[in-house]
Amino acid sequence: MGLVDRGRLPKPLTSLFNMGRSYSLWVYQWGLACCAIEMGAAFGSPRYDVMRLGVIPLPASPRQADLVVISGTVTDKMAPAIKRLYEQMPEPKYVISMGSCANCGGPYWDSYSVTKGVDQIIPVDVYVPGCPPRPEALLEGIVLLQQRIKNEDMGARWRGEGTKPMNIVDGESAEKGGVPVVVNN
Amino acid sequence: MTMLGDRQQLAYIASQAADARVNVELETEGMTLNIGPQHPATHGTLRIIARLDGEQVVWAEPSAGYMHRGYEKLTEVRTFPQVTALVNRIDWLGSFANEVPFILAAEKLMGVEAPSRAQHIRTILFELSRIANVSLFLGDLGVQLGAVTPVFFAFRDREYVLNLIEAATGGRFHPNFDRIGGLKDDLPAGFIEETRVVMKKLRTFCDQIEDLLFGNEIFQSRTRGIGVIPKDVALQYGLSGANLRASGVDWDLRRDQDIAMAWNKTEFKVITHPDGDSFARCWVRLQEVRESTKIVDQLLDTIPAGPVMAKVPKIIKVPEGEAWVSTENPLGEMGYYVVSQGDQGPFRVKIRSASFNNISITPWLLKGVYVPDIITILASLYFILGDIDR
Amino acid sequence: MFPLSSTTDTPTEAPRDTVREEALARVLGALGANVVDSLLKPNDDLWIRVTAESWRSTAETLKSLGFTYFCFLSAIDWLPSPFGKGEDDPTAPAVERDSTIKQGYTGGDTRFQVFARLVQPFTTLGINIKVDVDDAVMAVDSWSGVFAGANWHEREAHEMFGIGFNGHPDLRNMYLPSDFEGHPMRKDFPLLARIVKPWPGIVDVEPLPGDDSEEGEAS
Repeated sequence: MGLVDRGRLPKPLTSLFNMGRSYSLWVYQWGLACCAIEMGAAFGSPRYDVMRLGVIPLPASPRQADLVVISGTVTDKMAPAIKRLYEQMPEPKYVISMGSCANCGGPYWDSYSVTKGVDQIIPVDVYVPGCPPRPEALLEGIVLLQQRIKNEDMGARWRGEGTKPMNIVDGESAEKGGVPVVVNN
Repeated sequence: MTMLGDRQQLAYIASQAADARVNVELETEGMTLNIGPQHPATHGTLRIIARLDGEQVVWAEPSAGYMHRGYEKLTEVRTFPQVTALVNRIDWLGSFANEVPFILAAEKLMGVEAPSRAQHIRTILFELSRIANVSLFLGDLGVQLGAVTPVFFAFRDREYVLNLIEAATGGRFHPNFDRIGGLKDDLPAGFIEETRVVMKKLRTFCDQIEDLLFGNEIFQSRTRGIGVIPKDVALQYGLSGANLRASGVDWDLRRDQDIAMAWNKTEFKVITHPDGDSFARCWVRLQEVRESTKIVDQLLDTIPAGPVMAKVPKIIKVPEGEAWVSTENPLGEMGYYVVSQGDQGPFRVKIRSASFNNISITPWLLKGVYVPDIITILASLYFILGDIDR
Repeated sequence: MFPLSSTTDTPTEAPRDTVREEALARVLGALGANVVDSLLKPNDDLWIRVTAESWRSTAETLKSLGFTYFCFLSAIDWLPSPFGKGEDDPTAPAVERDSTIKQGYTGGDTRFQVFARLVQPFTTLGINIKVDVDDAVMAVDSWSGVFAGANWHEREAHEMFGIGFNGHPDLRNMYLPSDFEGHPMRKDFPLLARIVKPWPGIVDVEPLPGDDSEEGEAS
């Protein structure tokens, strides 16, 4: 869309596209460790059903995914694989870092083989703390991400400037100027 | 047979040569297939490198280490309570069961024994974590083989057990509830009645899984006769738990060893199966969940009154010595060899995890099987990555 | 002596463990002079230490005596860690620590020891076997010909401690990436995150349930 490239998309159209995108996220579950079980419970169990938020957890490959949830400990051996799979995702893509191991190394902060946080490798949009976070916390993280997407300036992203907000105030918008969001447990 | 004329012979030879050329072009020997480390069928980040000849595996090797967090080194710089909190996360589905052998080893070195009420409650929580762990295995089993429905049953019914564990300990997983000398706290009110209700639900769940999955013709043909492990090979590799019992070895550490837990006060069957194939392993685990629910019911009837914590000093320094304790964890035999030199923390902890030995058999076992059978065999051997990689 | 299970009938002054004593006698009879030291803790466990030359033949003998279940194999570094518990202040001068090597049960003469455990199936009669690893040689024989399961355990011990295993078919890294330098489980391998910034909380003292004001003394 030429309009989007030049960054001059009318606001109603942007908010329509944003709303469409935020309610049709395809999540690539990168389940590594214990948080993967809570992620599975959030996504797959009938109790903490994530599909009611419009998020489908079943993409066939990273090339069809919008969102990746990195849950579990990231080791140095695994880091190149994460980077490679993140690069396979098409733009616009979002990352949720779930659990304290993915946020900052967690209980293994002093280990010789653990990467202290996945944000050393890929940029993260939402951090969900906990060890493991409850499925509800992950759902809140997804809701915050949806609010963020609804406020996003698509022109900036198309120009390669990353995630930038527009000036539409959307109720309780939780983000200020591209700073990643942290869930309050 | 009529003699072929010259031209016919030449035509025949030419067609044979054409066939040979096509075979060479279609040569499929030696294709290397890389399964993982990110793959929906592996329980986590296990990478399997398989060399194939057509559809058959010539050589397969699991490459572990993608979840290696360095547990044994981390335990050397932590105190005993901190190690307890860390050790929960080795087998992350049945977390309480990881703490217990470590605490028992520390108690052995200190010379204290937890009061009998604490032992009882420990055993109840241990069996609940076994049920939580293996019920997810049963659900996952279907997903590995292509049947997606059982996993929803498993997650739903597992929630009941996780609710119980959360009510008692505060955490759905990683309860961190054991202390040297007993438990952190007593059971909440209403726990016993609620647990009885949940055990009935779990028995229904087992029946449902048996209906959905085990009687299914496709499941049977995919698992019967696949991945047979004979008895002596199983012992050499140190296989344990349901894998060993499915090969006909009648050995269960709950029944066969004297340990400071309450299993010797209950009656339960040890289930074995003579076949040693994938179906046997899955079937044994299903029956073990049923037996676990019965064990929990018996334990609930006989909880003794009393304190849940023995008298231990506030700052615990464990005297010098070495101790080994192993228990029948959901995955197999998990043991800790704790070496202490009189400090607040251990000097060396060797963690003997069940899945490490269980998966060490795969290079031997996966020779000559077809590619889909790799997934079946791994699913039936049942491992948790944290247990392999520690 | 505390009873290990509540089904012990009468606590005695010096509890006898006839099962283990018998097993130890059989093992010592079969191994003879190869056993340097042994320890039996009644109702607890059994330890022996053998010479390095007889490490592999010990495995074969024990297997023939009925210890056919291979539990695990690993190593211990008896050097006290020069970094303590990783709680030193990086700005303060380095703390001098005692570096005398003190081995555990059944003694030892070297810094590194390889130890393994074999069990008789259907019982819980297990035996822990230790062997000294000479610092100059830094290798012992491999058990992978006797117990196939030792293959992976020896790979792990090799990469973590740097101990070689003679006769092992394929001694490569188990867990660590191939470009990893050093042997992490050695005591002089530092945990860098702790050296750069020490752990702020030293000990967590948790009040016992219902006993908030009681002061306990370390025994």
